Amino acid sequence: MSAKLMEEVERRVDTAWPPKPRTMPSGAAVAALMAAMLGMLALAVVNVFTAASKPFNTWVHDVGKLWMPGAAGIGPYSGKETIALLVWLGAWVLLHYALRGREMRLSTWLVVFLAGVGVATTLIWPPVFEYLAGH
Amino acid sequence: MSVMLEHPDLKEASTRSLVAVVAIMVASALAFTLATAPFAKLLGEHAGAVPAAFHGLAAFLFLFIGTIGLYLGWRLLTGRIRAFADLQLLAVVAATSSLIAIVLGNWLYIYYRAPIPESPRSYFVKNAPDIHRIFFEFKEFGALFTLPLTVVAAFILWQYGVQVLDRPWLRYTVAVLMGLAFFYLVVAFGLGAAVTKLRPA
Repeated sequence: MSAKLMEEVERRVDTAWPPKPRTMPSGAAVAALMAAMLGMLALAVVNVFTAASKPFNTWVHDVGKLWMPGAAGIGPYSGKETIALLVWLGAWVLLHYALRGREMRLSTWLVVFLAGVGVATTLIWPPVFEYLAGH
Repeated sequence: MSVMLEHPDLKEASTRSLVAVVAIMVASALAFTLATAPFAKLLGEHAGAVPAAFHGLAAFLFLFIGTIGLYLGWRLLTGRIRAFADLQLLAVVAATSSLIAIVLGNWLYIYYRAPIPESPRSYFVKNAPDIHRIFFEFKEFGALFTLPLTVVAAFILWQYGVQVLDRPWLRYTVAVLMGLAFFYLVVAFGLGAAVTKLRPA
């Protein structure tokens, strides 16, 4: 799109927030995508290991009990949510500062993201994670 | 009058049509409610009736928001979106709705898995283990995926603003995120509704 047309778009399209400088690199978007993918994968992988190991399941439940109201009633799910949240937000902070100034090929990273989400979805399908856990 | 205001999409809806829409929606909701659940028993008598009502309400609201998000995401994907500010705000509302539905779902989960014979989990494990093992367990994890998906969509729309319109892969990314969030929302909603119909918490 030409600069003239872009100006026309900006003039015509109402935005909820003021537009940012035009040359913002795509690294921030890639960082957000990858962090979300890692959070989803963390949830799926932790769930496989909790199904495979009772001591690990107990430890994950203890993680949830550290802060989540009602964690005793929610069970290990509270710890799985906690770990996924920590991985997601922790990875986002790190990746954002590492990648925010870089121009990256978003199409490639979107494919990586979709593959990761596909793996995470497969791993949370009960027959799959039970098989991997040796049930 | 500017060129923008002459466009048919920007013509004001008549007051009569707006009133009619509201009246039809309210009447439909009342009719469905009264036809399917006597008002005095709306919440039910189960231990988790109150958290179930709140969680269901939040999930329903999220479903409405997610449906609009899916439509605006499609318009963005095809490069024909006009309500860009609406999409920016809607993505934030969707992320917030996801968080609220998840928190209320956690509250309800306490009643679902209560270690008593009458709890839904105990009932399913004894009588129909696949309902808990597949329906519920897939739903409880899939529902969580809606949060990062909607948050990332909102972040990109906020961070890049109208640049999203100018950069095709940013447009595609946001549209994919809104579409995926809708998919996991519908799966979780459908399975949650089925579980609730089979054995309320």
